[in-house]
Amino acid sequence: MNLNAAFTSTAEQNSLALWALVVLLLPLVAGVLLLVTGRKLPRQGDWLSIGATGLSFLLALYLFFQVWEMPVVHVVQNWFGLAGAGSNTFAFTIGIYLDNLAVLMLVIVTFISLLVQVFSVIYMHGEWRYHQYFGYLGIFTFSMLGIILADNLLLLFVFWELVGFSSYLLIGFWYEKDSAGRAGKKAFLFNRVGDIGFLLGIFLFYTYFQTFDLVILKNAVAGGINQGAAFLFPASVAGNSSVTLSYSLLTLAGLGIFCGCVGKSAQFPLQVWLPDAMEGPTPVSSLIHAATMVAAGVYLLARCFPFFTEDALLVISIIGALTALLGALAATAQYDIKKILAFSTISQLGYMVMGMGVGAHDASLLHLVTHAFFKASLFLNAGIIIHAMHHAAHELADEHSDVQDIRNMGGFRKILPLTFYAYIPAAAALVGLPLFSGFLSKDAILTGAWAWAGFKSLNGNYLYYLVPLFAFGSVLLTGFYMARHCFYIFFGHSKLYQAPTLLRASKTTETSGWLLVPVAVLAILSLAFFFSFNPFSYAGSWVMQGLSWQKLLFGQPGLSADLLPAITAYLHEAAYISLATAVLSVLLAVGGLWLGWLNYKSARRGGILTTAAPASSFGRLAYHHFYLDAFYEKVIINPFMRLTGRVAAFDNYFIDYSLNTFAKIMVVLAKLISWGDRWLVDGTIHLVVKVAGFVGKLGRFMQNGKVQTYYIFSVLGLILLVLYILAF
Amino acid sequence: MNYILSSLIFIPLLAVLIILCLPKQFYNGIKLVSLLATGLQLILAVWLFSAFNPATTQAYQFVEQLNWISLDLQSLGLLQIQYFIGVDGISLGMVLLTGLISVVGVIASWTISKNVKGYFALYLLLVGSVMGCFLALDFFLFYLFFEFMLLPMYFLIGMWGGPRREYAAIKFFIYTLVGSLLILIVMIGLYTSVIDPVATAIRAGHAPVSGPVTTATIAEVQRQVVAGTLASESLVHTFSIPDMQQAANFVPGSILHVLSQKKLWGYPVRYLAFLLLFIGFAIKLPVVPVHTWLPDAHVEAPTAISVLLASLLLKVGGYGLFRIVYPVFPEAAAYYAYFVGLVGVVSIIYGAMCALAMADLKKMIAYSSVSHMGFVLLGLASLTAEGTNGAIYQMFSHGLISAMLFIITGVIYDRSGSRIIDNFRGLAFSMPAFTALVVIAFFASLGLPGFSGFIAELLVLLGAFSSSTVSGMLPRWMAIVATIGLLLGAAYYLWALQRMFFGKHWVHPELNGKSAMTDLTGREYLMLVPLAILVLVFGLFPSLLLQKISPGINHFLQLVLQNGG
Repeated sequence: MNLNAAFTSTAEQNSLALWALVVLLLPLVAGVLLLVTGRKLPRQGDWLSIGATGLSFLLALYLFFQVWEMPVVHVVQNWFGLAGAGSNTFAFTIGIYLDNLAVLMLVIVTFISLLVQVFSVIYMHGEWRYHQYFGYLGIFTFSMLGIILADNLLLLFVFWELVGFSSYLLIGFWYEKDSAGRAGKKAFLFNRVGDIGFLLGIFLFYTYFQTFDLVILKNAVAGGINQGAAFLFPASVAGNSSVTLSYSLLTLAGLGIFCGCVGKSAQFPLQVWLPDAMEGPTPVSSLIHAATMVAAGVYLLARCFPFFTEDALLVISIIGALTALLGALAATAQYDIKKILAFSTISQLGYMVMGMGVGAHDASLLHLVTHAFFKASLFLNAGIIIHAMHHAAHELADEHSDVQDIRNMGGFRKILPLTFYAYIPAAAALVGLPLFSGFLSKDAILTGAWAWAGFKSLNGNYLYYLVPLFAFGSVLLTGFYMARHCFYIFFGHSKLYQAPTLLRASKTTETSGWLLVPVAVLAILSLAFFFSFNPFSYAGSWVMQGLSWQKLLFGQPGLSADLLPAITAYLHEAAYISLATAVLSVLLAVGGLWLGWLNYKSARRGGILTTAAPASSFGRLAYHHFYLDAFYEKVIINPFMRLTGRVAAFDNYFIDYSLNTFAKIMVVLAKLISWGDRWLVDGTIHLVVKVAGFVGKLGRFMQNGKVQTYYIFSVLGLILLVLYILAF
Repeated sequence: MNYILSSLIFIPLLAVLIILCLPKQFYNGIKLVSLLATGLQLILAVWLFSAFNPATTQAYQFVEQLNWISLDLQSLGLLQIQYFIGVDGISLGMVLLTGLISVVGVIASWTISKNVKGYFALYLLLVGSVMGCFLALDFFLFYLFFEFMLLPMYFLIGMWGGPRREYAAIKFFIYTLVGSLLILIVMIGLYTSVIDPVATAIRAGHAPVSGPVTTATIAEVQRQVVAGTLASESLVHTFSIPDMQQAANFVPGSILHVLSQKKLWGYPVRYLAFLLLFIGFAIKLPVVPVHTWLPDAHVEAPTAISVLLASLLLKVGGYGLFRIVYPVFPEAAAYYAYFVGLVGVVSIIYGAMCALAMADLKKMIAYSSVSHMGFVLLGLASLTAEGTNGAIYQMFSHGLISAMLFIITGVIYDRSGSRIIDNFRGLAFSMPAFTALVVIAFFASLGLPGFSGFIAELLVLLGAFSSSTVSGMLPRWMAIVATIGLLLGAAYYLWALQRMFFGKHWVHPELNGKSAMTDLTGREYLMLVPLAILVLVFGLFPSLLLQKISPGINHFLQLVLQNGG
C-alpha cells in the first residue's frame, strides 16, 4: 500500500477537514467566551453554548452524509519539528482523520451534548456559576470531539487528558461539598494511572516506528511478518530500517495502550472513580460519565485494534468480562439512584471492552452507540426524579433524608408519568429486551463471545468459556437490578413523603419542554428500529455494516491475524447461534426482572428501612464495591503517604541535619581555633611583651635620677662582684 | 545592533548606577527606572529572539569578542581572558526567559517598602549577572557572572526575607559557593590545558596580527601543538568555551588532555573533572541530595526573589551542563550517562514525594521545582534529539510556570501572612479569578496537554524511553519510573487545590481573616495573566521556540555524540 497516499489530500478532503475543525472548535470558542465573559451576557450565555453546539451538530450531520461509506479523509499538518543529524528532522504532526466511525461519533457526541445542554437550562437554573457550567461543558465537548478526530496517538493522548481535565472540573462543579472536590481529584488521579500506561505504550510504538500517525502505524503493523516468537516489520517510512520486535514486547505495548482504556472506561481494577464521579451534576453524569467520555476507551480500542496481539486481546476480554460481572454485582446492592446507574455503566463498558477483546469489533461499537442513547436517557430521567425529590425535601424542610436513595422514592409512575414512559424504553434497552436497541448490540456481543470461546478452546482448554459465562451472568444481574430500580422508583408510594401532592407540585418542572424534549428524543432512540431495519437481528444493522473492520481497518486485522475475520464471519453467518444466544439472553433478562420483582416484593413486605445495611455478607461485599476503595486506601495510598512523610523527614532530619551538624562542627572548630589563636598564639606574644615590659620596668626602677639610689646600686653591685670573685 | 548582547547585560547595570544616584526617598523614580531598564531589556531580548537565524551554519550569533586581560607568563605562555559573548540555540531561550521574568519580578517587587533603593539596585545587579551568565562564552567571564549572582542574592534574601532569612541566606551562599569552588578547580585545569589556536597562530608568527586566520593555519597550529614543536612561550592559553570543546586545542601532556592517561585515586582525571563540574552545577539546579538550600531559600525569600530564583537561577545550573560540562567532557558524559540519568530520576520521584508531604504551599512548590528539574537531567542524559530539546524546553517552560506558582503563593501570603495549606479552605468563593489562574498554573505544572510543561515532559520522557535503542545511554526503566513523577505531580497539586480552594470558605481564625482574602488586584493580574497566556501559547505552538533553538541543540547533541561515542 502506498503510505504517502494518506498525506496528499485533495481540495475536497481539505474542505471537509476544515469543516471538521469548525465542528471541533465551535464548542471551545463558546466555552471560553462563557468562562471569561459569561456573567455579563444575557441569560449568562447559555444560548451561546447551546447555539454553538447546535451548529456543531448540524455540521457534524453534514460531514456524516459526506463521509459515511465514502473514502476516508486524512489531512495532516506539521505541528513542530526537532532538528536531527544531517537533514533528518523529527516531525510531530497533527491531523484530522474522518472515517465512518469518526463521523458517526461526531454526530452522537454533538447530539447528546446538545440535548444535555438543553436539559441543563432548567436543571441548573439558578445555579450561581451557571455560565461556568456551560463553559466547562463546551470545553468537554471540544476535548471529546478532539479524541474522535485525532489522526495520531499523541494528539489523541492530548485530548484524552483534556477530557480528563474537563471531567475533573465538572465532577467537582459543586466544590463547596468536600465530597465533590475529592471525587474530582480521585477521578483525575485514577485516570492518570491508566494514562501513564497509555503513554508508555505510545512510547514503545514511537521508539520502533518513529511515528505517532495511526494510519502509518496501521500500515506498518499490517506489513509485519509473523516469525513465531517475533514479528519482522519491513521499513515503514523511507529512511527507516526494518525492525524485529518480539511478540511479548508487542503484547506489552498493546496492553500499555489498553491501560488508557482501563482508566477512562472504568475497567477493573481502576473502575472505582466512576461511582464517586456521580457527585457531579446529573446532566454531567449523563453526558460524560455514561454516554461519551467513558466510551472513549472503547473508541481507542477500536482505533488501535491492529496493534493488539492475541494475548493482549485475551487480557482485554478477561478484564472486560470481569468488569461487566463486578459492575453488575455491585449494582444489585446499591440504593443510590445514580450509583446504580453508574455501576450499570461500568458493567456495560465491560461488555464493550470484552466485545473488543473477543474480536467482535463491530458489535462492540454498536453497543457503544446504543448505550450512549439509552444510558444518557436513564441519567436525565434520574435527574428529573432527583430534582423532584429535592423539591419535596425542601418543602418538608427535611435535611436528613437522602434524596437520591431509591428507598425514599416510590409512586413516581403517577407523579411523573412522562418520566416514567421515557424511562421504561431506556431501561428495557439496557436490560436487552427485544425491539429495543440494547437487545441488538448485546446479542451481537454475546454471540461474538460465544464464538470466541469456541474458537479459542479448540486447543482443549474450556476455561475460555468463562468469558461468555460471565457475560451471560451479567445479563441476568442487569435484569435484576434494573427491575429493582424501576419498582422502587415508580411503583408503590413514597416511603418518605406520605403526601404525594408535595412531589406532584414539582410536576411543573417535568412539563417544561426544555426537560421533556431531550428525554423524549433519547427514549425514542432507545428503539431497535433506528439501528437496524430488522429489529430482531443485528446482522443487517447499518451501524455494524458501516463500522465493520473491513471498512475501518481497510481489511487489515493487524497482529491478532485470524481472530477478527473469524469472529466477524461467525457473527454474520452463524444465524442459529445468534438466535440461540438471543433467546437465552432474553430468558435470562426476563428471569432477572422476575427476581428483581420478587426482591422488591419481599422488601416491601418487610417495610423498607432506609437505614438498614445489607444483611448478607455478599450484600455487604457488593454494597462496598468489593472493598476495592478500602483496599487502595489501606494498601497503597496510606502506606505511600506515610512513606512521603518519611521521605520528607529524611530530607529534614538526615540530609539537612547532617549538613547543619557539619556546619556546626565547623563553627565549633573555628571557635576552637580562635581560642587557640587568642590564648596560644596571641598568648605567647603577650607573654613575650609582658616579660620585656617587666625587664624594662626593672631597668627603669634603677634609673630614677637620684644620686643616692645610684650610690646604693653601685655599692650593691660592687659587693656582688666581690662575692662573685670570692666564690668562684 | 552590533552591541545588542552587551546592551542586554549592561542596561540593568547602568540602571543600578542611575538608582544609586537617585535620592533615597524617591521611591517611584527608583521603581520606574527599574521597570524601564528591565522593559528595555525585554524588548531587546524579543528583538534578539526574532532576529536570531536558526538556519545559519555559524555556531554563535551576535558574537562580541574583545581581549580583556592578557598576561605574558613567559615560559608558561600567554594568559588570555576575553570579553566573549554570543548566543546560540542553547542560550536563546534562556535570554528570552530572563528578559520576561525580570519585568515580572519588578512588578512583583512593587510593594517592597523597606530600603527601596538598595533593593532595586541589588535586583538589577542580579538581573544583569544572570543575563551575563547566559551570554558569556568565555569560562572566566561566565564564572565571574556566576559568582556575581551570589552577592545580590545573599543580601536580597538576607535583608528582605522572612523570619529565618539569615539562616537561609547563609545556607544559600555557602552551598552555592562550594559548588562554584568545584567549578573553579576545573576551570583552572582547563585553562592550563587549552590553547586558543587563532591567537597562538598570531603569537607564533604563523599569521598576520590583523586579518583573518585561515582554517588551514589553525589546523597547522593544532598539528604543531600536538607534535610539540611549538615553543611553550608562544602558546596562548584561553578560557574560551568554544575552544575547550575541540579536542585538538588541548596541549599534549596537560592535565585535562583528551588522551591523558593521568589518574587521580584510580580515576581518570577527566572523569573526575566532569564530576566536579557536574556537582558544581547540580547544586545550582538543584539535584537530590544537594537540594536542601532550595526550600529554605524559597520560603524566606520575598516573592519576587523567589520568582527569580526558581525561574532563572536554577536554569543557570542546567544551562552550565549544556554549555560547558557536556561539550567539554563528552566522553565522560557518555560514561556517566547512567549516573546522571539516575540522579535525574531520583530527583523527580524524591522531589515529588517531599512535595506531597509539605504543609507549606511555598515549600511544596519548591520541592516540585526539584522534581521538575530532574526532567532536565533525564533529558540531557538521554542524549537524544527528543531528550535534549525537551530538557531545554523544560527549563524554559518551568521558568514561566514556576514564576506563576511563586506569585500565587505571594498573593496568598500578602493577604493573610500565612502559606500553610491547612489554614485555608474554599478560597474559590472569595477569590474566583485567582482560583481560575491557580487552576491554570497547577495544571500547567502537572503537565496537562495544551500547556508548555506537557511538551517538555513528553519530549524528555520520549527521549529517555527511546534512548536505549537510539543512543544507548539510558536503560528503559528510568523513563518508566520517571512517568510516576507525572502521577505524583498530579497528586500534590490536586490535593492542595482541593484543600485550599474547594470546600466551605474558611480561614484560620488567627490569621487576618476572611475579609482579607480579596480577589486579585490589577498589579497581580498584570503578572499572572500574561504568564498564563505564554504558558498556553508555548504549549500549543512549541515550534515558536523549537524552530529557533532546535538546530543549535542538535549541533550540541552531534558534538557530544561524535566526541563521546
